[in-house]
Amino acid sequence: MSKKHKISLSEEELILALRHREKVGAEALYDMYSASLFGVISRIITDEAIAEDVLQETFVKIWHSFSSYSSEKGRLFTWMVNIARNLSIDKVRSKDFRNHNKNQELENNVTFIDEQKNTVYKPELLGLKDLVQNLKPEQKSILDLVYFKGYTHVEAADELKLPLGTIKTRLRMAIQQLRKNFN
Amino acid sequence: MEDIKAYIESGILELYVLGDLTQAEKVQVEEMASKHPEVKAELDAIEASLEYYASAHAIEPTEKQRHRVLNSLLITFSDDNNFPGRTVDHTPVEDNVVPFNSPKTVNFYKYAFAACLALLIVSVVALLNVYNRLQDSNSTIASLNLQNQRFSNRVNLVDRQLSVFRDTSYKFIKLQGTPHSPASAMMVAWSPVKKKVVIDMATLKLPANDKDHQYQLWAIVNGKPVDLGVFDAALADNEDADMKEMKEVAVPQAFAVTLEPRGGSVNPTMDQMMVIKAI
Repeated sequence: MSKKHKISLSEEELILALRHREKVGAEALYDMYSASLFGVISRIITDEAIAEDVLQETFVKIWHSFSSYSSEKGRLFTWMVNIARNLSIDKVRSKDFRNHNKNQELENNVTFIDEQKNTVYKPELLGLKDLVQNLKPEQKSILDLVYFKGYTHVEAADELKLPLGTIKTRLRMAIQQLRKNFN
Repeated sequence: MEDIKAYIESGILELYVLGDLTQAEKVQVEEMASKHPEVKAELDAIEASLEYYASAHAIEPTEKQRHRVLNSLLITFSDDNNFPGRTVDHTPVEDNVVPFNSPKTVNFYKYAFAACLALLIVSVVALLNVYNRLQDSNSTIASLNLQNQRFSNRVNLVDRQLSVFRDTSYKFIKLQGTPHSPASAMMVAWSPVKKKVVIDMATLKLPANDKDHQYQLWAIVNGKPVDLGVFDAALADNEDADMKEMKEVAVPQAFAVTLEPRGGSVNPTMDQMMVIKAI
C-alpha cells in the first residue's frame, strides 16, 4: 500500500482545517487517524464489511459534529476514539448485528485480530508492539476490555470477577506502564 | 497538594479519558483540570499513551475505504449550505440545469403525442382495409356456397335421372299428340317389375296450363281409366326440371294425359285429351 499520498498535519493545523471544513482537512484527518480508529473498530466488530461501514459513519460523525470538539477538553484523538467506540458498540448491540450472528467470543477478539490482520508499521512506532507486550497480562486484558471493547470498568469488574478498586488500580498501572515505555 | 495527588492516583482521570464517566463526573474532572495544571498534565499524558496504544494496534483500512469515506464527507460538504464559499458556485449551476431540462421534456411529449397520433391514423386505415377485405371474403364465401348448393342439387337430379335410365326394367313410352293437340308429346318411363311410373319433365311438350287447370296422367287398365296423379307443364322449360314420379300401376294397356280442373278429376275429360299411347 502506497503511503506517499498521505497527508500529515500538526494537530493544530488539522483542527483549524476541520473548523474551516477544508478538503485537505478531511483528507489529512483520514490519513492520520483511519488506521488507529479502524484498529479500535475492528476489535469490537470482527466482520470486516460492517467494521468498514462503522469507520465511514465515524468519519461522517466527526466531520459533522466537529464544532462540538474543544481542544481544551483534551486531545483530538481521544474525542474521536470515543465516537468510534460508541458507534461500534451501538452497532454490536443493534438487532441488525445480532442477527448477523458473526460475533466472536469477546475475550478472543484482540489477539484474534492481531493474528489475522497485518497491523500497520510506522517507523516511529517500531518496537512498539514489544513495548505493549511488556504489559502484564492482567493489565492488558483490563485495558483491552475497556479501551477496545467499550466495557465500563463496572462491567469489566463483573466480567473478570474482580473488585472495582482492583480494576481501577490495574487500569492505572497499565497506563502507567505504557507511559513508561513511550516516554 | 496531597489531595491533588490522591485525586490523580484514584484512577478517575484514566476513566475520564476512556469515556467511562457520567456527565456529572466529567464536568468535575474538567473543572479540576482547569484549576490544577498537574491534573491537566496527567490527563495529557494518559491521552498520549492511549493514543500510542491505539496506533500500536492500528489496522490499515483498504484504499477503497479512503475514497468511500472522503466521498461521503465531500458530498455532504458540497450540500452543506452553511458553507459560504460553496453557495455562490451552487446557484448558477442550478440555474443552468433548469432551462436546459424543461424544453427537452416538452419536446419529448410533443414528439410522443405526434407519434401516438400517427400510429392511431395508420391503425385506423389498416383496420378499414382489413374490414373491407373481410366483407369481400364473406360475400365470396356466400356466393360459393350458393353455387355449391346449386351444383349439388343438379348432381342429385342427374343422379336420380341416371338411376331411372340405368334401370333395365324401365320401358320408355313416348306419348303422341292427339288430333286435339298434335304438337304435344311426352315421355313416360314405366317399370312392370317395380310398377313405378315416372314422367320426364325436361322433354315435356305440352301447352302451359293456367292456374285453374292441371294435367292429369291416366293409365288404361282393363279398358278403364286409372288416375296416376296430376302435374304442371309450367316448369317444362326449366333446366332444373325433374323426373316426376307418379302413382303406381301394374298392367296398363295405355297411358294418356288430359287437361282437368286443378286437383284432378275422377273420370277423364275425354275431349281434353292431349297425348296418348297404347302399349
